[in-house]
Amino acid sequence: MKEISLSSPLPWQEKSSEQKGRSLWQDALHRLAKDKVAMVSFVVIVFYLILAALSKLGIIFSNFDLVNNEIAYQSPSWEHWLGTDLFGRDVLARAAHGTVTSLTVGFAGTGLSMVIGTVLGALAGYFGGKMDEAIVWFYTTIDTVPYILLVIAFSMVIGSGLNTICLVIGLTFWVNHCRVMRAEFMKHRDREYVQSAVSLGASHLRRIFIHILPNVSHLVLINFSLGVVTAIMSEVMLSYLGLGVEPGVPSWGMMISDAKLELSRQVWWGLAGATGFMFFLVLSLILFNDALRDALDPKLKNK
Amino acid sequence: MNFATFSLKLSVQFFIRKGKAMLITTLSLLLTLSMGCTRKNKDAENTLNIVATSNIKTLDPIEASDVYSSGAVAQVYEGLLHYHFLKRPLQLEPLLAAQMPKVSKDGLTHTFTLRQGIKFQDDSAFPEGKGRELTASDFIYSWKRLADPNNKSEGFWVFDNKILGLNEWREQVSKGKATYETPIEGLQAPDRYTLIIKLKKPFYQLHYVLTMSYTSVVAKEVVERYGKEFLNHPVGTGPFKFESWTRNNQLVLTRNKDWSLHTYPTEGEASDKAQNYLEDAGKKIPFVDKVVIQEIIEDQPRWLNFMKGNLDYTSIPKDNFDSAVQNGKTTKELNDKGIHLQINREPDVTYTAFNMNDPILGKNENLRKAMSLAYDTDTSIKKFYNGRAITAQSPIPPEVDAYDPNYKNPYKEYNLSKAKEFMVKAGYPEGKGLAPIEFSSPNSTTNRQTAEFFKQNMEKIGVKINIVTSSWPQFTTKITEKKAQLWGIAWLADYPDAENFLQLLYGPNGSPGPNGANYKNKEFDELYEQASHLLPGVERDKIYQKMRDIFTKELPWIPGVHRLSYSTYHNWLKNFKFHSVINDNLKYFRIDTKERGEMKAKL
Repeated sequence: MKEISLSSPLPWQEKSSEQKGRSLWQDALHRLAKDKVAMVSFVVIVFYLILAALSKLGIIFSNFDLVNNEIAYQSPSWEHWLGTDLFGRDVLARAAHGTVTSLTVGFAGTGLSMVIGTVLGALAGYFGGKMDEAIVWFYTTIDTVPYILLVIAFSMVIGSGLNTICLVIGLTFWVNHCRVMRAEFMKHRDREYVQSAVSLGASHLRRIFIHILPNVSHLVLINFSLGVVTAIMSEVMLSYLGLGVEPGVPSWGMMISDAKLELSRQVWWGLAGATGFMFFLVLSLILFNDALRDALDPKLKNK
Repeated sequence: MNFATFSLKLSVQFFIRKGKAMLITTLSLLLTLSMGCTRKNKDAENTLNIVATSNIKTLDPIEASDVYSSGAVAQVYEGLLHYHFLKRPLQLEPLLAAQMPKVSKDGLTHTFTLRQGIKFQDDSAFPEGKGRELTASDFIYSWKRLADPNNKSEGFWVFDNKILGLNEWREQVSKGKATYETPIEGLQAPDRYTLIIKLKKPFYQLHYVLTMSYTSVVAKEVVERYGKEFLNHPVGTGPFKFESWTRNNQLVLTRNKDWSLHTYPTEGEASDKAQNYLEDAGKKIPFVDKVVIQEIIEDQPRWLNFMKGNLDYTSIPKDNFDSAVQNGKTTKELNDKGIHLQINREPDVTYTAFNMNDPILGKNENLRKAMSLAYDTDTSIKKFYNGRAITAQSPIPPEVDAYDPNYKNPYKEYNLSKAKEFMVKAGYPEGKGLAPIEFSSPNSTTNRQTAEFFKQNMEKIGVKINIVTSSWPQFTTKITEKKAQLWGIAWLADYPDAENFLQLLYGPNGSPGPNGANYKNKEFDELYEQASHLLPGVERDKIYQKMRDIFTKELPWIPGVHRLSYSTYHNWLKNFKFHSVINDNLKYFRIDTKERGEMKAKL
């Protein structure tokens, strides 16, 4: 046996003390904080959230709906940084308010799809058998219908508008997440910790939601942030096609649809405003999502 | 004909189609560029290159309900009558008929004598491939086809309840009790060249109806030979023969060498001589050997193709307007290229219709008036039509008899304080207590923008509007099912008669008929029926003006604008005189091929 000084720490002790008491989440946060790109993206996202909140509360850009036909199509100036649109409304203010619409659809729509996807995926994966078959059949069917058709069908039934878009996105975009959840629950349902829960007499629901779900929750987060990006882009596209939010509500898609015709009269600022705002939000969300996925992936832990 | 309120219709389906059209245009542009040499020879050809701004749907006359299809159909098929090419206001002339019909004193019997020796175009459907002579019974066959319920023609309204025995025959056919052989009292051909039409009641618009594509003549042999494919194989008596049609791309027609129905007109309007419209007087037509109708839906490719000289004439897209026209004249850029401008008043009206069955809007005259007074038409003309429209005071547009340019509708001014007074009278001071009103609109960009503009205007008097957008078919279905509350739409004349506009408000024409507003007024309906017994003239105009006053008093619509059409054409295109109701005009157009060759090299 080799002698070592009592005061000097043991190599394995040093390592373990550093890791002691740090959960997957804390570990991920720690690694995320070290990623500069992720942090910048995060700051941008927070900036958008604050912008949306302040616009919504009417603290900034309260002039977004102020019509003044005298100053239609004015080019950018100190008074109107991004010029004015067809009705003389401030493009910057409308683009900022477009953030509210986008984030509402992004979070509400994706939130709903996460709930549906998680519950159905959990039920299918955990119970298997007939339940699994039924749910797989159901999501495969939903998946085969192009979602534009679903949107049209929904808007025929419940009328178009912001709520419809949230609902439609919620009701159509859960399929991928459901697949992931199903696979994860299949993997987890026979693990030791679930078995011990069984022997302690935990009910099915308790096993699903209290025991297994926390162990797959990082996937919910990753899918959520991916879903937000898709939802925002879908809202823009649907509004562009005239299937989105109600006309008059500021929306990037609608601004781009206006710009389609305006470009040939050299009115570029509407397009620039809408796409600029959308670009930085979507880019930040994607970069942040990448970083988040890396941070939460245990395989990449020691890299 | 019905149109999307304010120009373009766009639905998802259209959007996808648009993509294709764009691709094709881009490809054809590339081809043109790469085949510079062959292109030159092509320019020497005596070809008229024109454009359809929406897809051609069919080449079957009884299905040609839209401007683009009927415009193509009218080159190949002909009817009994047509309009004089140059004279304004429009004047009827015999086409396949030898002269204008004899009309009995009671106005019920119209006797037509056909021109002799008119031949159908050669086609393999005829014995030995030679077109046979046209006879009066061909018309009876063609109109039975229009009435045949199995054909589901959208155009049957032109004869609906007008010709003696035709509606009864239609019913019998649907029950399987009658065939095309079953005689009809109101349609008789006593000999090869005489056609007698007997009406149920006087209907003086009959002669206008006989210029429309719906009533043009087809040959039984051809219809039977091609069956369902008939819509792709038009064979008529017209000046142009069908050569080829690639759907969503282009339609090619060639000159019918056997056609010699008439020559270029020798007289016209007073100003026609000075404008060189009479240079070709008395010459043999058609002048061009070939017509190529390209289907280009997107504004930009269409305009660029025109500017490159690939199209001989086109309309100006809204967003290119400023670069093309200034102060009512073409800009220097266009002038240098030898491009001319022609401005025409369109016999059309745009309007915002109230559903008169609606419990709120239908019962409250003052509310309707308040809304009309709050609508800023002048700004809308600037914004959406580049000033290319005039305010509509009533449903009756310019270019028809009863139009009175001095008439002022007291509710068709922009006057917010007056509007607010009417809101008080309506029982909703400042809009208090009034539930939001649903405004239906098609979902294309321009339509949405006009809807937004309407909403902004109404907000000024406290009327809340919810805009509901949908695709064009959904939108029209909503109107015919009486589910729409308020919507914007337009009507373009089928023929130059105020009746064609006033029938939009005739009670029995309610949904699913053309009276989408479901307006019903006993006095109005009686006057309408009274007027249908009268020939055009002062007396009839007076009745029409009485109807207009009833309209103004009750205001079932907010009248919008009458549009002006701005067409641009190249200098090498001669005899270009445009009118949106005349559609057999291509035979009169002439191309100076030498000039085109020289000019195009510079473009």
